[in-house]
Amino acid sequence: MNLKYSLLAAILVLLGFVLLILPAKEQLSETNPEVLQYELGEVTHFISVDKVAERIINQDPTLLLIDVRMADDYLKYSLPGAENIPLEDILNPDWADLLGQIDRDIVFYSNADVYAEQAWMFARRKGYKNLFVMQGGLNNWFGTIIKPIEPTETSSAKDIETYRFRKAASIYFCGGQAVVSEANPQDAIVITRKKKKSKVEGGC
Amino acid sequence: MGPLISRGIIGSEWDLVIAILIGFAFGFILESSGFSSSRKLAGVFYGYDFVVLKVFFTAAIVAMIGLLYFSYLGWIDINLVFVNPTFITSSIVGGIIMGVGFISGGYCPGTSFCGAAIGKIDAMVFTGGMFIGILIFSEAFPLFENLYNSGNLGSVKITETLGISAPLFVFIVILVAIPLFYIVTKIEKKIKKVNY
Amino acid sequence: MKSDQKERSKKYFNPYFGGVLLGLLLLLTFYITGRGLGASGAVKSTVVTAVHAVTPEFAEHSHYLSKFISDDNHPMNNWLVFEALGILAGAFLSGALSGRLKLKVEHSPKITSKRRLIFAAFGGLLFGIGSQLGRGCTSGAALSGMASLATSGFIAMITIFGTAYVFAYLFRKNWI
Repeated sequence: MNLKYSLLAAILVLLGFVLLILPAKEQLSETNPEVLQYELGEVTHFISVDKVAERIINQDPTLLLIDVRMADDYLKYSLPGAENIPLEDILNPDWADLLGQIDRDIVFYSNADVYAEQAWMFARRKGYKNLFVMQGGLNNWFGTIIKPIEPTETSSAKDIETYRFRKAASIYFCGGQAVVSEANPQDAIVITRKKKKSKVEGGC
Repeated sequence: MGPLISRGIIGSEWDLVIAILIGFAFGFILESSGFSSSRKLAGVFYGYDFVVLKVFFTAAIVAMIGLLYFSYLGWIDINLVFVNPTFITSSIVGGIIMGVGFISGGYCPGTSFCGAAIGKIDAMVFTGGMFIGILIFSEAFPLFENLYNSGNLGSVKITETLGISAPLFVFIVILVAIPLFYIVTKIEKKIKKVNY
Repeated sequence: MKSDQKERSKKYFNPYFGGVLLGLLLLLTFYITGRGLGASGAVKSTVVTAVHAVTPEFAEHSHYLSKFISDDNHPMNNWLVFEALGILAGAFLSGALSGRLKLKVEHSPKITSKRRLIFAAFGGLLFGIGSQLGRGCTSGAALSGMASLATSGFIAMITIFGTAYVFAYLFRKNWI
């Protein structure tokens, strides 16, 4: 009888000890609703399409793009390197490792702003950090990057600068050679052709 | 991933069926462990039968360890597990009243059901007393209301209150429980046996 | 008689075995429902339903009871009530299998049945009041609370058992 109990006791102690030495898992603590409301009002949770384009071109590893549309839409066209998490699946714990990366900036986007904002809200409420919404979504992406609005002669230097950047980016994303500006050769943005993932097609 | 009903893996239509099945197992285990006998239950306070302590602590430890392992393995989302909120003054006063109720009635609600189920009239009377007690409480609620709602600390976990990690806490509980089991068994042997 | 004593205790589970079983059941309950076990809640639900049936206006005006009435969720249709019915059935079966079914008043030979019943009623009354203030009883608040590491569970555990120990001397004549 004594042996049986000693065995049981030893098992309990062992189980407890193992729990003790197991490496602690990152516990996600939920965001306070007031904090959430404040952050939602701050424009800093938006990231412009220009910034996103720049970071993609620079192959910034800290950028993580999340397409929150349905899988079909994602497969038809999406941004290079983007992951697909449909909006209603955002809180699924399977994505916890992806969304929980604290050293990356996680940018949600959809066609416009609505779904991306919702995704941002859910994920932020859950406690994930470094979350952003690409302002204007893919609609804005097309209207700004892929088909940039040409500046007029009276536009400021800054606007011309921005246009040049966007035109180059457009070519980058749709494939092409380097474009060198005649006016200021040293300002030329050099683009090299990249191998694109097969599923990212169209849109150009 | 659990909890199965909260995460929609089992539909909530099953909720009540599961309630009965779990209750059935609960009643069976309690009765088989002797919790249907008020004299056996009271034994923990006089030293002649520590069954309450042994069963209670073992069950709590097994469940604590189980939940922590399940959480670590990703089998359960620990944030969806209900943590009873702490209403500190209400809880303490309620606990004291229940303590007196326990030592005079010899039962607690769950065990009184078990006792009643096997024909113990004192258990049935106890249950009836509870019914009336709750009625009295609701009648006199305005008197109790402030006390009832006071001291709300929210759903606090013991790990926050004590400031130590969950595994450490559970480990300490285990290290305390095992010598305790040994000691009470020794005490049981020394105290005069009671025949139920 | 020593052999008699052993005979009787053989019919009960070994307490550690019972404890492990109970712990596993508790774990399973958390895994399925996200909540632990409970008992006093079932009695509370019964009170709410009964009062509501007999004098509906009283129940609705009662500051306390009205909290637990909602139109679509008939309070009797409550998880704990069904669990309690299960407890009755399970305990009955266990008692039947072990030959413990017997209508009687269990009391110390040193006191009368009547005295035992009076104290049982008194104890039940206190538990009724206490369990509402404590938002649970030993099964719900204490046991399940401790398993989920809720501070309230430990407070419940310590106050209930601590108080009982303090008053044990006073009530000793009823038991030993």
